[in-house]
Amino acid sequence: MTVPALEITGLSKGFGSGRKKNQVLTNLSLTITQGEVFGFLGPNGAGKSTTIKLLLHFLKPDSGSLRILGKTVGQEEFRHRIGYLSEFPFFYDHLTARETLRLSGRLSGMERQALDQRIPILLERMTLTEAADRRVGGFSKGMKQRLGMANALIHDPEVLIFDEPMSGLDPVGRHQIKGLIAELKQEGKTIFFSSHILSDIEALCDRIGVINKGVLLYSGGLRDFLVAGCGLEESFVRVIEEANHACA
Amino acid sequence: MPVRNIWFLALATCTEGIRHRALWAIVCLAVLLTMANLGVTTLYTWDLGKVSVEFGLSSVAFTGLLLVFFLGMKILADDLERSRIFMLLSRPVSIWQYLTGKFLGLVMILLLATIILGLSAALSMHYVLWQYPAYVPPNFSWVTYIMALACQWLSLVVVLAVSVLCFSFASQPFVALLLAVSTYLVGQNMELLRRVVTENAHAGALTGQENLVLALSWIFPNLSLFDKKYAAAYGMAFSGQEFMLLCLYGISYSALLIYFATLLFRRKELA
Repeated sequence: MTVPALEITGLSKGFGSGRKKNQVLTNLSLTITQGEVFGFLGPNGAGKSTTIKLLLHFLKPDSGSLRILGKTVGQEEFRHRIGYLSEFPFFYDHLTARETLRLSGRLSGMERQALDQRIPILLERMTLTEAADRRVGGFSKGMKQRLGMANALIHDPEVLIFDEPMSGLDPVGRHQIKGLIAELKQEGKTIFFSSHILSDIEALCDRIGVINKGVLLYSGGLRDFLVAGCGLEESFVRVIEEANHACA
Repeated sequence: MPVRNIWFLALATCTEGIRHRALWAIVCLAVLLTMANLGVTTLYTWDLGKVSVEFGLSSVAFTGLLLVFFLGMKILADDLERSRIFMLLSRPVSIWQYLTGKFLGLVMILLLATIILGLSAALSMHYVLWQYPAYVPPNFSWVTYIMALACQWLSLVVVLAVSVLCFSFASQPFVALLLAVSTYLVGQNMELLRRVVTENAHAGALTGQENLVLALSWIFPNLSLFDKKYAAAYGMAFSGQEFMLLCLYGISYSALLIYFATLLFRRKELA
């Protein structure tokens, strides 16, 4: 039996303390198997980015545990096996795209020869070949997002974690990223990504998780989530409204 | 692996800093100060050599501080404010490797800047000493000048380590900057304060607080120790042993601060 790619158990996280404490996640549990594409859905402030930051150990949980490929987050090293793209990828403005990828590859333990072969392939895949030796500070949002994607893939990780990978992109950029995620799915990579764009989730994901106000409302197959006769958007809105109504 | 990661981070930080416009602004400032040295020195009627050497080393100290407080702290703060840190810490890089790499990268920039500024100051000094040979301080030595310059650089390294420590726990970059500048000012005057309190029975409000002042003098960096402008200007050689002790003090104090910075940074949540 293979270990799950991601395993979140009873995860809770709040910011602040006392009466001012803002509970962002409450008892979240999720399991994502290897090779699946999992879409993490939720309105703004639902706790999607916080979950991702907890997975990467940028934040520490109040309770619960997180495991990536069987390694406990915060206790065992797993980061050479994952690739991460943040919602707003920022790089060193004065380094070129090639230097940025070289830095990331080196920090992931890759050797110079391997990088010399991998960087041109990735730059071509992201249509950044012509910008390879330009400083990143002058890149457009779309170019930065594509560079961020190349950066996440540089060391050929098994698990990819994308935080809103299509956010702020024009239709062409979105199409490119969508195509890339589909290709990665074909290659058998595990992909966990959060998104607001429901059509992308519908097109790419095997399973989804729906979160609202830090509480997981649904986790399972996409088809099972859809309310009879409704699309993903309607089903999603209905579930969120019901949850908000129940809270009120 | 740790050394490898530190080296790559240091190299990237150094490259980023060198390509920053601020460094070019500092090169321009060095040229201006070189010209100012020629102008200011001729305003004096005696001790022209001494004035020239002191002015040259002071300009290195001043521009070096600007580099630490503005370029160095900007590079550190941008990592957090612009979430660049996520790009690095999502790799197998530990907090201590990250902080040490950033610190060493900035140390390399300071070294480069000190060499440029020191050379520039040396050129102007050389011109003044050549033009007015009667005012060349007796026993003036370029070796002492280079040692004084190295001490200046070490002092900047310590101030940089203080800045990294402040950055590791302050909630805002501005607060970190304020704390670092305050520590620098205290560090410059700590030795004087200690001597006033311990050697003077009438030290005002601090009378009887010798132990407190002594404890503080062990906590804050003693930056006045690194100030060798006077020795260089008057041609007073200071021993290799003293120089080595200063190096040891600067390096060990900085290493300790980076260690504390790592402990504090680990507690920080990167939201």
